[in-house]
Amino acid sequence: MIDTLLKKQVDKSQLIFFALSSSLGLAILLIVIQLFIDTRSVFNSENDLLGNQNLIIYKDLGRDNAFTDQEIKELQQQPFINKTGDFTHGTYRVLASVTLPNYTGISTEMFLEAVGDQFIDIKSIDWSWQPGDREVPIIIPKNYINLYNFGYAASTGMPQINEKIIRQIPIELKLTGSSQTKMYSAYILDASEKINSILVPESFLNHTNKTLSPNKASKISRIILDVINPSDPKLLEFLASKNYNYLSNDVQNSKLSYVLKLILSVVLAIGLLITFLSIYLVVTNINLLILKNKQTITQLHFLGYSKVQIAKVYHKIAFKILGVSIIIALLISIGCKFWIAPYLEILHVDSTLITIAYLIIISIIIFIGLAVYYRKHTNSKIQQMLRPNTSLLTTEN
Amino acid sequence: MHINIQSITPDFFTPASSEVWSKNFELLPNSKYLVKAVSGSGKSSFFNFLYGLNNRFSGTIQFDNSAIASLSENDWTSLRRNKIAIVFQGLRLFPELTAMENIQLKNTLTNHKTETEILAMLAQLDIDQLANKKADTLSYGQQQRVAIVRALCQPFELLLLDEPFSHIDKAQITNAVNLVNQQVEANQATLIVASLGDTYNINYTKTLLL
Repeated sequence: MIDTLLKKQVDKSQLIFFALSSSLGLAILLIVIQLFIDTRSVFNSENDLLGNQNLIIYKDLGRDNAFTDQEIKELQQQPFINKTGDFTHGTYRVLASVTLPNYTGISTEMFLEAVGDQFIDIKSIDWSWQPGDREVPIIIPKNYINLYNFGYAASTGMPQINEKIIRQIPIELKLTGSSQTKMYSAYILDASEKINSILVPESFLNHTNKTLSPNKASKISRIILDVINPSDPKLLEFLASKNYNYLSNDVQNSKLSYVLKLILSVVLAIGLLITFLSIYLVVTNINLLILKNKQTITQLHFLGYSKVQIAKVYHKIAFKILGVSIIIALLISIGCKFWIAPYLEILHVDSTLITIAYLIIISIIIFIGLAVYYRKHTNSKIQQMLRPNTSLLTTEN
Repeated sequence: MHINIQSITPDFFTPASSEVWSKNFELLPNSKYLVKAVSGSGKSSFFNFLYGLNNRFSGTIQFDNSAIASLSENDWTSLRRNKIAIVFQGLRLFPELTAMENIQLKNTLTNHKTETEILAMLAQLDIDQLANKKADTLSYGQQQRVAIVRALCQPFELLLLDEPFSHIDKAQITNAVNLVNQQVEANQATLIVASLGDTYNINYTKTLLL
């Protein structure tokens, strides 16, 4: 009965309009959140198209192109550079030989380099070496595998390989330093998209440099920078002023990443704005409803109905609007997920169903947060109305 | 309920000298009081002070030795459900509800009376046939009787009737007074009736001139 009394002023079409407008805002919010979650790997991973937050720099060729300690220190002092990593190279000659069953063995001269683990996009527990270990893990650039598969293997009739098979290939390394020569067994652990070099663990390189060529100092000819934004004009200006070179590809990719992030942020802001406005509309409407029913509310209260009992009626209305809005928003965002999925595949993003679980959890959190807010708001409005001396009933004397 | 009143005066108008304003007196259980005054002298204000709708007065009102100024919102709600019943001068029925719905709105708070008992009370006041009529279709006198029955549908220790019989004919006043007397005695309550002059043949413990 109290429900019918307090709801007599409710304009259903208005409430539906508010529910729809808040569902629009919430849907935009959820879609952007879902896009952020789905493309997280693109932005964060170290090897991927958009996530490249590293820049490898080197000096012009043809002169003494090693970096001095002072230059490295200067790099580290720049505000737009988080960390620097040195590429150290072996101070010995390397001959690698591979023997495949049924094929003639191949051997080639090559080089080895090492860089801090935190700059390498391959994370593996096998990426370590200490004296006495049987095999040395090696990381090669992904390009090499492509070159081999589509160039060398295709023309010589050798089998094509991928990152998995490549681990099985036994490699013999013959390292010839200034004081001695040593043989090591090695295998290719993985291929890197980020670092264009043949890498071994730092511990291996330090050990071999020390034992094979103790009298040669290793020089740092390339430096990997961990930067906030590789396309930061300040950074690029600094590098240009120092005549340091870098791969422009890295910078392009980062610009793309930046623009994408910017677009998502703008859409997120629009979603937030619409949500905020629609919440404001719903709150205003509930205020209006409470004001319209002022007489009924005060009379009920003075009959003995508590504030809680009266407020509950309005809580139910608010929760219904909110629930409907969030369910609609959730359905729209899930629909969008499937609609956007093919486009995301182009970016090599695996859009998993786990995102939906995230969306549901986020929706529940939004529902609880807004429900608590609406509840507080309604309670305070009703509280205000029912203070003594403000009632319509005190007019009799 | 033992009510102790100590020198109260409203803050929002200056009342003429009376037996209520600025006086110390007690209102006792099992007693009936008539507050008699001309219109505009503050009868409803006095009732509003006792019912907690207005606290703009100086002085002290105590219910069972505790000052009502210290009562919380919840205390008042509980008092209005279980201890103080009122018939407002303006009745305050909900016009869109039927007579019975209006009464049940109060009764469901405590489930004090069964529907049969309510119908019996309505019959006593000769309005049982109007139970399912919307309040706004009833005459003012009929509405007054509905409001009286509504006030009786709760446990009470204090019954406040603000000019309750102003639009009721003499025969029905007798019925209403009988019903009120029965219920007041059953609840061993304090009855306070505000009236412009009529005494309605109630045997008052005391008449207070306002």
